[in-house]
Amino acid sequence: MLENFSFRTIVEYLPLFGQGLVTTVWLSVLSFAGALAVGIVLAAMNLQRGRLFRVPAKAYIDAVRATPLLAQLYFLYFGLPRLGLILPEFVVGILALSLNSGAYVAEIIRAGILSIPRGQVEAGVASGMTYVQRMRLVILPQAFKVTIPPLLGQAIVLVKDSALLSLISVAELTRAGQLLASDRFMPAEGFITIAAFYLLLYYGLKGLAALSGRWLGLAGART
Amino acid sequence: MTKTGMIEFRGVNKWFGTLNVLRDITLSVEPREVVVVCGPSGSGKSTLIRCINGLETIRDGDLTVDGQRLGDPATNMTRLRTEIGFVFQSFNLYPHKTALENVTLAPIHVRKIPRAEAEEAGRELLAKVGLADKVNAYPAQLSGGQQQRVAIARCLGMRPKIMLFDEPTSALDPEMISEVLDVMVAVAEEGMTMMVVTHEMGFARKVAQRVVFMDAGAIVESGTPDEFFSNPKTDRSRAFLSKILRH
Repeated sequence: MLENFSFRTIVEYLPLFGQGLVTTVWLSVLSFAGALAVGIVLAAMNLQRGRLFRVPAKAYIDAVRATPLLAQLYFLYFGLPRLGLILPEFVVGILALSLNSGAYVAEIIRAGILSIPRGQVEAGVASGMTYVQRMRLVILPQAFKVTIPPLLGQAIVLVKDSALLSLISVAELTRAGQLLASDRFMPAEGFITIAAFYLLLYYGLKGLAALSGRWLGLAGART
Repeated sequence: MTKTGMIEFRGVNKWFGTLNVLRDITLSVEPREVVVVCGPSGSGKSTLIRCINGLETIRDGDLTVDGQRLGDPATNMTRLRTEIGFVFQSFNLYPHKTALENVTLAPIHVRKIPRAEAEEAGRELLAKVGLADKVNAYPAQLSGGQQQRVAIARCLGMRPKIMLFDEPTSALDPEMISEVLDVMVAVAEEGMTMMVVTHEMGFARKVAQRVVFMDAGAIVESGTPDEFFSNPKTDRSRAFLSKILRH
């Protein structure tokens, strides 16, 4: 069985995989930054007492969570041009991942903020802090710490979701595997290699999580 | 009552849903006066002092603090709160900040005191509450009594005119109660206007000018500690005292 497995072809295609890996990394980094921005805004809207902001935020989060990412991606890629908005495919890709992941990030951030005990808010209020000061100095630094592990989980999901961008011909990692599969008809070699690269990225993110955990651990344990 | 009270309740009522938690409260606390509030659980003592810095809002009646009427559009509640220190039963220290940072956070960001000056004052205050060696400790590294002393120092850092204490020793192990009470006595002796919700009768006898006894949202009895403890006037206060003094 293994005599049919061509390591040589994998080595031959390594530069292509390398490029795909680099593309996946920067697409993911940009998309996750976008997701954080979207998530922070949505979470802030969702935490308001007034319905004016809360209702649209909830509707958006529900809509995104209820529909497949692939459908969202196709809507942006095939649908938007029909409505007159034509964007390069990598922009569509980043947009889709940011908007999608942002809905999940919003819920993570909201849960993080709500996990801070009421007494912390009251301590801030009692010492004369404004809403913004309380958020900046008391609530968010603590919420940030609680949200690190679930946010990294979300980042891992996002990296894997970025594989869908191969379907709109973004030259990322999965696309490189597809090329090997179709050029040489070597799907086994192609897809096992990209799997190895995704595993690499996963361990990279896990290492980052451990590092940030240790770094935050120094800044005082929670009671 | 005179009009110069630091804290003036006049006919204050408050409801939680249908529960009348404060019933027609009228009470005046003079500058430099120490008032101890006691009463059975659920009698409205905590709610009473939480109204003073606006952690709770009142339904009707007048509440005037340091000459400013609460609920009046002209009253800047955020600024008024900087004049009122509040010590919580559960300390509520900021767990991500050191003891010193807990004390200096509001002075630096709310009072806009330069950092170096605030830190110097913060160290002095922590020394005053007996925690000079815990300046860089995080709350999780401190005992309950130490945390509550940091919390008192945190309030003093704002140089308030009034200090409110909401059962400051109720969450503490018995051997830590006195270290916190000693600090409170020292604060009282410096002439702070204080309202203290507590059942620590030794503290009341030592520094309080007045004891206010509440039951079911109303002030039932009010008098000097000696009067109140040795000669309670109502059945309810007698029943209450017999329960807390039995042990």
